[in-house]
Amino acid sequence: MKSREQEYKEIFIAEALEYYDSLNRHISELEKQPQDDRILAEIFRLLHNLKANAKAIGYLQISDISHKLETAFSLIRNKELNFSDEVVTVLFDGIDMLGDLITNVDNPVPVEPDPVLLRNLDIIVDSLSDSAIELAKIQKYSSSKNLSLSDLIYIQIKKLDHMLNLVGELIIDRDRIISLSRELNNDDLKVVSSHLYRITEELQYSVMDARLVNIGTLFNKFPRIVRDIASAEQKDIYLKIIGQDIQIDRNILQIITDSLLHLVRNAITHGIELPKEREKANKPRAGSLVLSARNERDNVIIKLEDDGRGIDLKQVRKTAVRNKLVAPDIAEDLPDSEVLSFLFEPGFSTAKEVTEFSGRGVGLDVVKNAIDSIGGRLHIDSISGEGTTFAMQLPTSIAVKGALLFEVDSIFYAIPLIHTEQVIALDKDELHEVGDVMVADLKGETVTVVYLNELLNADEATINLGDKTRLQGQIQNIVVVSYNNRKLGLIVDKLYRQQDIVVKPLNKPLDKIDLYGGVTLLGTGKVCLVLDVPAITRYFIHRR
Amino acid sequence: MKRILIVDDSFYMRTMLKNMLTDAGYEVVGEAPNGQTALELAKETTPDLITLDVILPDNTGLDVLKGIKKDQPEMKVIIVSAVGQEVIVNEALEYGALSYIVKPFSEEKVLEVVNKALQD
Repeated sequence: MKSREQEYKEIFIAEALEYYDSLNRHISELEKQPQDDRILAEIFRLLHNLKANAKAIGYLQISDISHKLETAFSLIRNKELNFSDEVVTVLFDGIDMLGDLITNVDNPVPVEPDPVLLRNLDIIVDSLSDSAIELAKIQKYSSSKNLSLSDLIYIQIKKLDHMLNLVGELIIDRDRIISLSRELNNDDLKVVSSHLYRITEELQYSVMDARLVNIGTLFNKFPRIVRDIASAEQKDIYLKIIGQDIQIDRNILQIITDSLLHLVRNAITHGIELPKEREKANKPRAGSLVLSARNERDNVIIKLEDDGRGIDLKQVRKTAVRNKLVAPDIAEDLPDSEVLSFLFEPGFSTAKEVTEFSGRGVGLDVVKNAIDSIGGRLHIDSISGEGTTFAMQLPTSIAVKGALLFEVDSIFYAIPLIHTEQVIALDKDELHEVGDVMVADLKGETVTVVYLNELLNADEATINLGDKTRLQGQIQNIVVVSYNNRKLGLIVDKLYRQQDIVVKPLNKPLDKIDLYGGVTLLGTGKVCLVLDVPAITRYFIHRR
Repeated sequence: MKRILIVDDSFYMRTMLKNMLTDAGYEVVGEAPNGQTALELAKETTPDLITLDVILPDNTGLDVLKGIKKDQPEMKVIIVSAVGQEVIVNEALEYGALSYIVKPFSEEKVLEVVNKALQD
């Protein structure tokens, strides 16, 4: 991860090299038009900036030479020094020296300015146009000098996307080769493949690293946005931003941009009360909005907390019943966390009025879908009268996902780790048939349990997910997944291991089957289907 | 949150100032690399304070200061200059700049001057 010092240094060098190039261009122009004040002013400005920046970062030789050159040019500007051939040579040499120092600031063997050149510069600066003192001839740098280009480049994200895809393909082939080397039991092949493993792993991380940007690039847009929405809504908002330095894949940041904007708008228009209402409720006049980012294991957590009125759970229950999402008697008994999940249903809105900034048909379901699409999770928490917190759990990178591999009916499947809660073994007797599903009691929580063999393999006509007699064996391995505050147990035949996988989208016509989020190839060359946890959970919510 | 506009032709200087100010809880509402943009952003963003570099590619800092003060006489402006520009700084103070910072500046110095300017 880049430190701020490193960032400053990179910016300094990139900008200093630009200045150096401009200086060269302008001094060549000046040679042709020695009296052009505009060129002189520009050279003066460039040297001035270079001096100030170098002094700030602590490159004193650069600031010293810039200072001497700046003085020389101000003498020329004030007509106290003639722009003679001899002087021009020394100035060119000085600028070359600057270029050398700038390109070598990172060099472990520091470049020392030529003492003869320094003396020549001093002579020009101190003794004005006194030509009695001979300027010493100095060795030309240019004879040994190479052209130097900036160390920083801009690159189209499309090119990085392409590289990442290629790395994905490479990892699949690598795993195949490693597996082959074991099958063939060839020692040479094993050595080569373990080397290949290390190289590709490093390549993967380098490409992923090249795509990381500071989350501040998005967060820093919010102070202005919040101010504008707040003033239109006549609300007083204090925005606090935390964790701008956290890094995340640029495309992930792009995908969540609209979602975050939507949540911020919602928080200001619907969440935070008018100053008068807040005072009545014994709250400070200004509402607080905290936008924060932090790392948690391999993920980035982005949180948006407001201290507004919170979400009215009664109203949500009512709207859910009205929209026929749940029966009235069941709605009463649902835990609050499940009630909040209704907010992510398409078209679900409890807002009574549409304002300029919020409630324009884009619902929380759109936010939810955007986050699902990159394999993230969205969590919502709200206390009536005290405020609402949205937490997005996002992968740092989109390339590779940690996944849990398992087998059902001799076929391999994977579940992204971001959706797995726990893995447990339960005795068949602990599963109960309720209606057309099975349920289990997990630490006091009733969780629907699905026999994957039945779900994935049985005919539509004969499928029965509530029939315990179809289970094989006494002890059942269950992967507990969660999506949108809802848990679901999945019974698998055999558990394997955790592994990083590269998920490929399904090709037509398989992309119509919404139980699968994609496919990956295992080292053995076997195809492994990746379960789409959001889709499976949704399927069961609607059945219930 | 108090809102600040940074005017400086060096990206490096702007980045340093912006980091120092945002870390201290200020909101940087804009960054202008030249005088023209500075005048536009001053009108558009109506910040609480402007930090103004004295040497800019298209205009002098003094001209920009005069331009800002013409439209927004109450605008708080802090001059950012280097050693050796005392003459310009004095002139700027006469034209209504509130205070000044000398490059290279420390974080403490910047915040001291900015905090004081925004307190009044």
